Amino acid sequence: MASETASPGVNSGRKRIAGEALAGLALVAAPMVVLIVLVLIPSVTMIASTFQVNTATGSHLGLDRYAAFFADDYSVENLRYTVVWTLISAVTAVILALGLALYLRFSEGRIATMIHGLSLFPLFVPGIIISYALARFLGPNGLFQLLLEQVGITGYVTPYLTPIAPYIAFVWENLPLPVLVISAGLTQVSDHSIEAARDLGAGATRILVEVVLPQITRSLVIAFCLVFIFVIGSFTVPVLLGPPAPEMMGVYIQRTLGELLQPDVAKVQAAILLAVSSVVGALYLFTMTRDGRGRA
Amino acid sequence: MFTRRHFMIATAAVPALFGKASFAQSTKTLQVYTSGDTNISNWWNDSIKPAFEAAHPGYTFNVTITRGVGEENAAIAKRALAALQSKTDPQVDYFEEFEPATVEGSVDAGLWLEMTPENVPNLSMINPVAPEAPIRLPYRGSQVLIAYDSAKMDAPKTFADIVAWAKANPGRFTYGRPDKGGSGSNFVIRAIHEGNGKDPAAFTKENFDAAKAEEMLQKGWAILKDLHPHTFGEGTYPAGNTPALQLLAQGAVDMIPAWSDQALQAMNQGVMSETIKVAQLQDLALCGGFAYSAIPSNATDLEGALTLANFMLSPEIQTACVREIGGFPGIGWDHLPPELKAEYIDVIPVSIPTFPSGDWQTAKNDGWYKNVATNLVRD
Repeated sequence: MASETASPGVNSGRKRIAGEALAGLALVAAPMVVLIVLVLIPSVTMIASTFQVNTATGSHLGLDRYAAFFADDYSVENLRYTVVWTLISAVTAVILALGLALYLRFSEGRIATMIHGLSLFPLFVPGIIISYALARFLGPNGLFQLLLEQVGITGYVTPYLTPIAPYIAFVWENLPLPVLVISAGLTQVSDHSIEAARDLGAGATRILVEVVLPQITRSLVIAFCLVFIFVIGSFTVPVLLGPPAPEMMGVYIQRTLGELLQPDVAKVQAAILLAVSSVVGALYLFTMTRDGRGRA
Repeated sequence: MFTRRHFMIATAAVPALFGKASFAQSTKTLQVYTSGDTNISNWWNDSIKPAFEAAHPGYTFNVTITRGVGEENAAIAKRALAALQSKTDPQVDYFEEFEPATVEGSVDAGLWLEMTPENVPNLSMINPVAPEAPIRLPYRGSQVLIAYDSAKMDAPKTFADIVAWAKANPGRFTYGRPDKGGSGSNFVIRAIHEGNGKDPAAFTKENFDAAKAEEMLQKGWAILKDLHPHTFGEGTYPAGNTPALQLLAQGAVDMIPAWSDQALQAMNQGVMSETIKVAQLQDLALCGGFAYSAIPSNATDLEGALTLANFMLSPEIQTACVREIGGFPGIGWDHLPPELKAEYIDVIPVSIPTFPSGDWQTAKNDGWYKNVATNLVRD
């Protein structure tokens, strides 16, 4: 691959640097090959094939299959539903994670350690476990309803099988990563700057908005992107906890492919989902590389 | 690495190597293969095996579980086909459940033994609703039933009973999404049958035509759309057999369609309220099917395999099939103890209708999502 980059006639120092660069490249080579062969090439082939329109007389290139997707109200509703609830879930997760991270940044002691551990707990619970647990907990006549009734609150309407239940699961499931990312960002906020602001008479809100937040925007954006990408492609949680329709795109694509046996239609759905994710992916990359520093 | 596959090959090979050689004089070991669920393989090992050994001294069998490994029983059937052609030992005597047609060419090659009352005497008692097929032995069945709370209603006898009750008791009935499990699927099929003159014969694998299917399915959608606002959560259908049973167990609904074996097992395990009972519709049953055993004609011990087949259709084992795994008997109910029949009278079907796979299934499932489920607009 890169074995011919060292041209003849260079001095020994440059040779050594070239050698180190080669070693670095060798380290990334294996994952890159896997990525290219197993992800990039199939994706590109798949996307390219969605532009092929087969008719009775032959085939030509065009956007007909995408037009068919957007002409179908059911498909468009599924896409809209997916994007809206993914956005809501990601924003909620980031806000909650910010609160947790702020608390952890400015608190010490056993309780803070416990909360830190608890906030990372969902990382180790698979989606299917969360789904069944929430179905039992939030479901009709579940523990939550029974607890409410113990304190005299009746008329509980279960969110199970409505968009709210997967939303709760998404937020819960996706809390640890933004907590980690934002906590890392908050370590870059120096105590001095906060103390200086406090000395000048700034209140907690003002310190948060004018001192802390501007320094961790990058972490917030990265956290949002990560959650968004995880949620938009989810399958288990929306299948088990969500309504039958509209469907999240991951569920819809799986059903189109596995149940309706229409791989051509599923490819278009996947390409559209990929396009939506790419916007957020681009935002992530842009944020990561903006000023050349590593991850916040 | 020592994988599960190796383990199973090893465990299958041990009795083949030592068992036969050392105990050949006294005990013959039959090789049985199953790809069935845990409840089936456990039933064979824990219940059928000791009964078989007691009833037929000199015989025992070894159950090899192929569930979840590659092609499951099809791989063993292919091996038997190859052995038939090369006239070698197929190392299999009995398939607990196998559909011979799935291994191409095996039927024409004569791999499968034809079973008649002459070589399997108990076949004369076969359940009249089980389809006849000499190379497939229908030995246990399962069917979708209506599970209901007997404290709240009498057993529903017709589809119209279900609809009437559901409308009178909003939110207390539900069924699973048709693509996520057979219980919901077969209820949707029953609604389609209801809309098309209760005639399952109107749907065959060959007669699928997109335009005609659309017209026929619409009659089912009309019924289900009418039912939709009266179901649990005004149309939030649970995503599978188990989630539907869970809603019933939690007391969130009072009536659901459920697989006979899953419902009866849940009831036996005590996870359901004691007032939960099951019933079959008497005007036209919900769909179901039989599990078929098959014997390769070149079985290592053909006589033993036939003995086992006959044993499986004995009233003793067929009673166990009903009691222990919540299955349907492969032989007629009249050949089983009268008290068993009396106990299960509500679930005994007059017939076991079927619905064609392939295009019809696809049209049914997608049509349901687009016509019935989308009535739900809230977010």
